[in-house]
Amino acid sequence: MKIRDGFMLREIAGQWVVVPLGEKVVEFNGIMTLSQSGALLWQVLEKNASEEDLVEVILKEYTIDKETAETDVREFVSIIREKNLIN
Amino acid sequence: MSLRWGELYSQLISGARERKELISASFELTARCNLQCKMCYVSHSVNDLKTKAKELTTAEWIRLAEEARDAGLLFLTLTGGEVFIREDFKTIYEKFMQMGFVIQIYTNGTLLTKDHVNWLASIPPSKVSITLYGASRKTYQEVTGYAEGFDKTIRAIDDLLAKGITTEIKTTVIQGTRYEFDALLDIALQRKLQLGIVNYVSPNRECSHSDPVGNRLSSQELLQYEIHMSEREQQLTAENIKDITKITDAVTEEVMPAKLDVVRLKDTPALAFPCLAGTSAAWVTWDGRLLPCGLLDIPETNPLEKGFKAAWEELKNKCTLIPVCKECQECKYQSLCEHCPARLFRETGYYDQPAPYLCELAQSRSVYKDRMKA
Ligand SMILES: C[S@@+](CC[C@H](N)C(=O)[O-])C[C@H]1O[C@@H](n2cnc3c(N)ncnc32)[C@H](O)[C@@H]1O
Ligand code: SF4
Repeated sequence: MKIRDGFMLREIAGQWVVVPLGEKVVEFNGIMTLSQSGALLWQVLEKNASEEDLVEVILKEYTIDKETAETDVREFVSIIREKNLIN
Repeated sequence: MSLRWGELYSQLISGARERKELISASFELTARCNLQCKMCYVSHSVNDLKTKAKELTTAEWIRLAEEARDAGLLFLTLTGGEVFIREDFKTIYEKFMQMGFVIQIYTNGTLLTKDHVNWLASIPPSKVSITLYGASRKTYQEVTGYAEGFDKTIRAIDDLLAKGITTEIKTTVIQGTRYEFDALLDIALQRKLQLGIVNYVSPNRECSHSDPVGNRLSSQELLQYEIHMSEREQQLTAENIKDITKITDAVTEEVMPAKLDVVRLKDTPALAFPCLAGTSAAWVTWDGRLLPCGLLDIPETNPLEKGFKAAWEELKNKCTLIPVCKECQECKYQSLCEHCPARLFRETGYYDQPAPYLCELAQSRSVYKDRMKA
């Protein structure tokens, strides 16, 4: 899976936000904020990545157990899928 | 993971302010305009070729925008003059919309054709903010010199709304529009919109044909206008129609307390500007000068020469040297006054001298308030 084209992840005043670009504003009104770990996953998903890749990245960056990492990743993916941000 | 828009907006703004990072800016794409408003602080005529020659080019605006984005800029206002007279406006806007900004457009609306509106609908800004210079052709003529502008603007507003583009209307209070509040409010309410009121008219920055001071209301007249506004607001609130107006500043974008008795928060007393100017907000003039606010012409830095980031850092430093007006700070009317260094400077030539016009206004608001209490 991969983040669809037309979105930019930006760090604004210490806060991660996703801004829609160009025509994408029609379907995605407003901006969205991401947590630190959400931003990390987003960056990985800007290139193609699987859920396993994401779990691996999280485990490398945070000291949490694999199960928690998997739950977090699944939750993150389902939210951005629901918002139609990945394909 | 996501927050509501309003919450996020204030969170980002206060974060930027704390860190003294740029978050908001206005790009004055041109100083030229098709209208000749009597109070305008900036505009030159459309055919003023000398001015046109000094305007930044398409490529320069694009470069500055990229650099400003890299310096943190998120909220970008496009203003003028009238942005729709630039032949390259479409190119500039489409480029900017690919850069990761949240954009709003300030316009008089008269040049917005159906084609423009259809195009904007395919790539809409977060807001189109239209200034409406009267509620009839007669007033519109009186203020701008162009009667038909009234019909054109109303049509533009309706076309924008029909296309679902977030649209705001505001008016700038001067002699010509002095008795038009009710009629303008009706225009807004019929469209389920709020009416923004620009109550403070600043002396000229660089307009050759206008006379802002000669055309603005006296402090007494402005007080009467505000009283009428709040009476009308109370009436409508009683009819359960709420939040119908907001007092706004067309230059710094600051929204003023709508009621006369709200105290302004001054959480950073060390900095002279009560708003974001010079801390997290900036203004780029049509000829490429970086300023804290569009009312001022100093302090300025040169982003084209130095690069935007360096020019912004230099500007922030210069702004820390702007003195606070001690008399204002100690004044008992301060909470009823909309003073700031830019206004004081335009009124008096000094950042830290009380401005008689603003003092009179604050005083008369206070007298009125006391009378109401009694
Ligand atoms: C200079 S205009 C440029 C955008 C566009 N042409 C318009 O009329 O909205 C921006 C805003 O500044 C307001 N304005 C003009 N002259 C002013 C002055 N001397 N003091 C305060 N606001 C002013 C206008 O009414 C308008 O709302
Ligand atoms: S206020 Fe706006 S519409 Fe009126 S002359 Fe100035 S730039 Fe033009």
